[in-house]
Amino acid sequence: MRREVIFLLSLWKANLLAAMEYRAAFISQVLGMMLNNAVYFVFWMIFFDRFKEVRGWGLTDMLLLFGVVAAGFGIGVALFGNVLGLAEVIARGGLDYYLSLPRPVLLHTLASRSVASGFGDFVYGVLSFVAAGQFSADTVTRFILGTLLAATVFISFLILVNSLAFWIGNANMIAQQATNAIITFSLYPITLFDGTAKLLLLTLIPAAFVGAIPAELVRGFSWQSFGQLFAAAIFFFSLAVFVFHRGLRRYESGSAIQVQL
Amino acid sequence: MKRTAVFPSLIRDIRKYWAIFRTQLVNSLAYPLDLLSRSFSMVLFMWIFAQLWRTTYSASGQESIAGLSLNDTLWYLMMAETIILSKPRISTQVAEAVKDGSIAYNLNKPYNFILYHFSVSFGDSLLRLVPNALIGSLVVWRLAGPPPATRGWPLVFVAVLAALAIDFCINAMIGMLAFITEEIRAFEWIYAKFILILGGVLIPLDFFPEWLKTAALSLPFAYTTYGPARLFIDPDWDRFVTLISRQGAWLLVCGGILALIYRKGTSQLAINGG
Repeated sequence: MRREVIFLLSLWKANLLAAMEYRAAFISQVLGMMLNNAVYFVFWMIFFDRFKEVRGWGLTDMLLLFGVVAAGFGIGVALFGNVLGLAEVIARGGLDYYLSLPRPVLLHTLASRSVASGFGDFVYGVLSFVAAGQFSADTVTRFILGTLLAATVFISFLILVNSLAFWIGNANMIAQQATNAIITFSLYPITLFDGTAKLLLLTLIPAAFVGAIPAELVRGFSWQSFGQLFAAAIFFFSLAVFVFHRGLRRYESGSAIQVQL
Repeated sequence: MKRTAVFPSLIRDIRKYWAIFRTQLVNSLAYPLDLLSRSFSMVLFMWIFAQLWRTTYSASGQESIAGLSLNDTLWYLMMAETIILSKPRISTQVAEAVKDGSIAYNLNKPYNFILYHFSVSFGDSLLRLVPNALIGSLVVWRLAGPPPATRGWPLVFVAVLAALAIDFCINAMIGMLAFITEEIRAFEWIYAKFILILGGVLIPLDFFPEWLKTAALSLPFAYTTYGPARLFIDPDWDRFVTLISRQGAWLLVCGGILALIYRKGTSQLAINGG
């Protein structure tokens, strides 16, 4: 376990150093993503300026929601950026390289790439949380906890949909649509959805565990929301690891072992 | 003497770009499943919008907000989403051509690089418009009732074409920025968000505070989505004439700037090797 942690830290360090080689591009992506998120949030500012609240959700709730979603997504793709292209890696035989090395395949594959804009998302998320004005030792702890659990559910979901490539080959489009769906749904107040829709957001597209439930946890601690989120993170993570390794048994390629630069 | 020289060449040019447009159309038609799967986003967005605006209208207790009923709002959003989801990512293609140097190969081809991408982009967009509009309409019809009067549809189609042309010019300009800054993704994201907010894709400009609506209407973004979508739910000749004349003006401005950037960029292009 200790060896894997050291290995992971070395990968992250190498990714960061690689990003810093193109410092201007890195900074432009970080700042660009922060501005991008801020412009998107203007929609909710205009909306709540006119309608004040929607089923109990106001602007502060949206700031917390955006905070936790952006920070969770950001930290996820900054540290495990290859998850966004995992289906492509599987389909073109790119796992050969990772299989040939004595390291955990899934961990190595995911952490071997970092998405620079993810750092921008993460910083934006923290700023959005600060702007919500609920800044205390308690809420900061809950924000960190909520963000980490949301990131776990998000990354696990992406591993699951991208792993479809083991069975259907080209799963790029499905994986992209699923990624869009979970991000889109997680950025809306959960109270808009009821019945079947809510069930869908807790199971098939677990957007509620990436947005609304962690945001609820940050707003005020309750064992119910913490328990739900923790259980979901464990469940989706275990399922993702299980499905990936089942898929790995079916993996075949034309031997694409190559040097990674 | 001059006339006879200009017109055959013009007709030849139109035929050339028409052929490129048609080829792109046929290419895209070869992958019908891909086209349909892209339209999945229409279902997703229209369904979320329906939940949001239904709840909002019911909470406000009003039949109409800023002159728009729930039915108007949802059909408006359907048209705006159809336009936005039908645009190809032309800025990325142009930027790639600049970055990998393939723009240099195109310079000695018997076509204009910008007009080539314009024809390709139109071929792509028109083909995506049909399934997006059909699927979006099915969802909104089911959730909110019948569409607006059909008499306005031909006018809306013309306005959508003008909207796509303005959007092409802005996107190609962003792609051309690769001549200056290698990384253009940040500009792409921000432009996309400007369209979402100031173009009225997420919320009709009619719901904006008056000062912001006035500001948004004086920028080109409103004429790439809000204009055609608003005409769709409230079609009348005067609105169409005002819209198309403003779209024409923005097309001239954006097209002119694009031509200037292209000329300046290619004049400074350094080609190494052969």
